[in-house]
Amino acid sequence: MNELVQSTLAAQEGDISFFALFWEAHIVVKIVMLGLIGASVWCWAIIVDKTLLYGRTKRQMNRFETVFWSGQSLEELYGTLQNRVNHSMAALFVAAMREWKRSHEGARPAIGSLQQRIDRVMDVTIQREAERLESRLLILATVGSAAPFIGLFGTVWGIMTAFQAIASSQSTNLAVVAPGIAEALFATALGLLAAIPAVIAYNKLSSDVGKAVGRMEGFADEFSAILSRQIDERT
Amino acid sequence: MRAGLVASLAGHAAVLVWGLVALPDAETFSTSPVDSLPVELVPVEELTRLQKGEKTETEIRDVAALTPTEAPPREAPQPDEKPGDATAEQAPAPTPEPAPEPEPVPEPEPEPEPTPEPEPTPEPEPAPEPEPTPAAEPEPEPEPAPVEEPKPVVTNVTPRTKPTPPRPTQTAQQPQDENFNPNQISALLNKVEPAGGSTSTTQDQASLGSRQGAENVRMSQSELDALRGQIARCWSPPVGAVGAETLKVRVMFGLDRSGQVSGSPEVLTSSSHPAFRAASSSAVRAVMRCAPYNLPAAKYDAWQEVIINFDPRELVGG
Repeated sequence: MNELVQSTLAAQEGDISFFALFWEAHIVVKIVMLGLIGASVWCWAIIVDKTLLYGRTKRQMNRFETVFWSGQSLEELYGTLQNRVNHSMAALFVAAMREWKRSHEGARPAIGSLQQRIDRVMDVTIQREAERLESRLLILATVGSAAPFIGLFGTVWGIMTAFQAIASSQSTNLAVVAPGIAEALFATALGLLAAIPAVIAYNKLSSDVGKAVGRMEGFADEFSAILSRQIDERT
Repeated sequence: MRAGLVASLAGHAAVLVWGLVALPDAETFSTSPVDSLPVELVPVEELTRLQKGEKTETEIRDVAALTPTEAPPREAPQPDEKPGDATAEQAPAPTPEPAPEPEPVPEPEPEPEPTPEPEPTPEPEPAPEPEPTPAAEPEPEPEPAPVEEPKPVVTNVTPRTKPTPPRPTQTAQQPQDENFNPNQISALLNKVEPAGGSTSTTQDQASLGSRQGAENVRMSQSELDALRGQIARCWSPPVGAVGAETLKVRVMFGLDRSGQVSGSPEVLTSSSHPAFRAASSSAVRAVMRCAPYNLPAAKYDAWQEVIINFDPRELVGG
């Protein structure tokens, strides 16, 4: 009843601002709204983070490729990269080279199945890199699909309470009905607000990941071919 | 990740601020102010009661001082009276002597008896009441006529907004009327109306105001149509004569409570058309032939005199 009075007051004042809509909402609706806002914040954080990460990854790969194909000795390259924290292609290269080096250490080089070991090491590295790139993307997908339903839940709940208020006030005046429904719809609006960017970003980012991983696989194959030639020449 | 979170929070805060600035402006619909018209849905029954009440008002003013006749005595003699009177009784109890004008009204017409019973104010009470009854006059057309007449009276009665007021209270206020505060009168009138209404279903209404009674009891459209249809069925319109379809005959006839035609129908219109005589006689014949009319007994006042138009163009084939 109190809520009703408040909402009617709000209606009289014509106060339809964000805060008014929020404060007059039922507690459940409030929780829904807060949850959706939180989801939206988290989604955008992920989107920003991933966009930056992918941009960085792409630049790194470009730079590495130019260096790699510049004719520089692989040994030197390995020497410079060895002690850094590497990602993407550089990580691939370092992993393969490390395996290569280890196989040539000691008195008897283990070259017999070196090719397979290098492939396997690079596969593992690619997987690890892909995992790193894809991490948290599922959150976007989840928010994108679930947020509208959560918002809808808030709306249904809000409208339910609005109708209860109408019933208890015994008035169907639009001024009584409107604020409750407006605040209920606000929940759906928030749900869509969170879901739409999440869905779009998920599609965009997951395709970016696919591209990056494809590029790394291509590099791995090429590098594997180079190493395999080396191995065959030495045996 | 931190950069992303910060950026996201900042972005949301910006959107929120923007929303606070921009959204409250949500423009209120510009609605041209509409003067509110109070509209009441009044069922026909209520309307009849209202009108009666009003008319009684005019009477009451005249009679106001007259009749302290109390409801209870009257009822004793006439137990038939029904619920309306019973309620009337209650009112007098709280306010002992007040002159319950409305009560006298119903009685007087048919029988002078009640007035003797009420005792307190001997005076000329009966006299005023009978007067209105003669007023019954020619007008009792069941159709639109009643609506028009009541209106002038209505203007006096501002408070009639309530169609269903408590009946008993009238009596209470009446006593003070000697001062004649118009407001109070109107209030009284309102309350009187329902009492009249209650009686109206019974035949007491007729006693109220003769003329009013007849006019006030409105017949519903369906009842009128039924009557019209009944007559039309018996009517063979004067076809064949040149211009016969232009002959409109207006017939007035009286009915008794059993629905029989009392007296002979009277043709109200005249025309020099050669076929008019045939047309008018056919109309009269139609009225006579359908004689026992099946009409609601409760509204006898409304149809004790009926005026009906015989218009060949409308009734043909009926």
